[in-house]
Amino acid sequence: MKLGLRSRGSRGRKRSIALWCGVGLFVAVVLLSILVPIFSAYGPNQLVAKPFQAPSASHLFGTDALGRDLFVRVWAGGRLDLAIAFIVVGISFLVGTLIGIATGASHRRWLDSLVMRFIDALIAFPFLVLILALIVVVGRDRSAWVLPAGAPAIIIAILLIDWSIYGRLARGETLSLRSRDFVTAGQMIGYPQRRIVSRHLLPGVMRITAAYAVADVILVIVATASLSFLGAGVQAPTAEWGSIMYEGRTVLANAWWVSVIPGVVLAFTGLAVGLIADALLNVER
Amino acid sequence: MGPSLLLRRGLQAIAVCAFVVVVTFLLVRIVPGDPVSAISGPQASAETREAIRAELHLESSLPSQFTAYIGDLLQGDLGHSIVQQGKSVTSIIGESLPITLYVVFGALVISAVFGVAFGLLAAVRGGGIDMGTRAAVMVFLAVPPFFLGLLLILLLALEIPVFPAGGWGEGWPQNLEYLVLPSIALSATLMPLVASVTRQAAKDAMRQPWAEAASARGLPARLVVFRHILPNCAASVITLLGFNASVLISGAVVVEAVFGLPGLGQELVTAVTERNYPVIQGIALVTALIVVAINLAADLLSLAVDPRIDPS
Repeated sequence: MKLGLRSRGSRGRKRSIALWCGVGLFVAVVLLSILVPIFSAYGPNQLVAKPFQAPSASHLFGTDALGRDLFVRVWAGGRLDLAIAFIVVGISFLVGTLIGIATGASHRRWLDSLVMRFIDALIAFPFLVLILALIVVVGRDRSAWVLPAGAPAIIIAILLIDWSIYGRLARGETLSLRSRDFVTAGQMIGYPQRRIVSRHLLPGVMRITAAYAVADVILVIVATASLSFLGAGVQAPTAEWGSIMYEGRTVLANAWWVSVIPGVVLAFTGLAVGLIADALLNVER
Repeated sequence: MGPSLLLRRGLQAIAVCAFVVVVTFLLVRIVPGDPVSAISGPQASAETREAIRAELHLESSLPSQFTAYIGDLLQGDLGHSIVQQGKSVTSIIGESLPITLYVVFGALVISAVFGVAFGLLAAVRGGGIDMGTRAAVMVFLAVPPFFLGLLLILLLALEIPVFPAGGWGEGWPQNLEYLVLPSIALSATLMPLVASVTRQAAKDAMRQPWAEAASARGLPARLVVFRHILPNCAASVITLLGFNASVLISGAVVVEAVFGLPGLGQELVTAVTERNYPVIQGIALVTALIVVAINLAADLLSLAVDPRIDPS
């Protein structure tokens, strides 16, 4: 790379502008999803106006087939989508990273190749196909705690697969770190394996899996929305981005806003997460 | 490419296939409690429960369930539907799989052609086109294919009626117009990735001494790009396309639902609402095996176009 100091500086600035745009956009989406359902005058399932009213000052995103306010429904949907994404990504990140490090650092090579072939097999399945199968097995109607019917099955189904990607990333990074000098030095000093793993391997591996976790937030949101769009996700009348888009699908010609607005909000969330993940990955390189 | 490498890749693929079979077998059995009541739901009749129990061989012990499953598979028997009067899963998949593969193939072609074109253009021209391509990549990565599908219907089927809004034609030349919008929608995930990988590979290639030598010999820029730089991007693009086979099939499931195409996705969604587990299991198995085959093919193809990758 023949980059002068000056141009590197301006690249760094551009990168941090992109990062902060992403962070700002994401914070805005999170805040709206939390605050709108709390402070709004009506609930997401309340019939408040005539059906299919175009976006206006009194109903910013318009109303749907039943006359529910879409501004409230979209942000209530965002709250659910973000909650599902944070739960799934948080647990997958922890479990996958630990399993990946454990198999990568283990001296039992048969264990490593057994786990890896299993992960290969999980990743070979088209993500949505396997999730649909798991949702049927788990039982679609279950509701749990504050989660509405459909959401627990989505969380369990995605979790059962999603950890494997973190596992593969963590295992690969562990293998490459293991041969590095600072790890060998630690071993020669006579540190126990546990210390090597937690002090030498874990920080490096976590940096990689954490950067993936940021990008994974939007993958999980898109998967959740796709499942609801297919009728296998969150069940009516619960508001969710995919289910709102599904309801608007048949009236696209007369009331485009029902499907398009949640899609645009979803795309902006994806853009925000993409900007953040991109900046994180580039900084670390 | 040595024969030992071929053999090793082949064996690895077979091992993954074996694990895929084990995973599909275990799917229904990992959930605590009675799998039959989880699948069939609270309102199921005694006959439905019995049908599921018989279909999945759940009456015997786990090892003999597994041997029965493997025995059926080796005879090409994926079980029978619980709903459509016991229609075989193989015939259900046989009827719907081609349509899914057409959409996936269409998306692959669109992604490869336009992705490589934009990537090359961005790398060669730089400046505004480069920035524009990178911004477009970012935006398209954020748009899920089913949303792009809805937008395409709104714009190119309803507002300006160029293509049908959905459905499937009677015969061949006619079917093509039903495939255009779904293929474009599905390519939304892949094309940006192809563009950015091509852009990176082309930029790397342009920095190599042989590229400079080609320009210094006085070859026109067009020849340098197409004869020298493009072939060097091929391996990265092929690897990427193979790696994303499973993403494409996932996307096809949703895109088919948007456009009402009678493909695998439609069968899968119907099976999920009817809790028709044998069909779901069969589709999961077949699509995973297709993905393994595509991955292997892409692996070998990228070795063939670029022997430098050979790790042995």
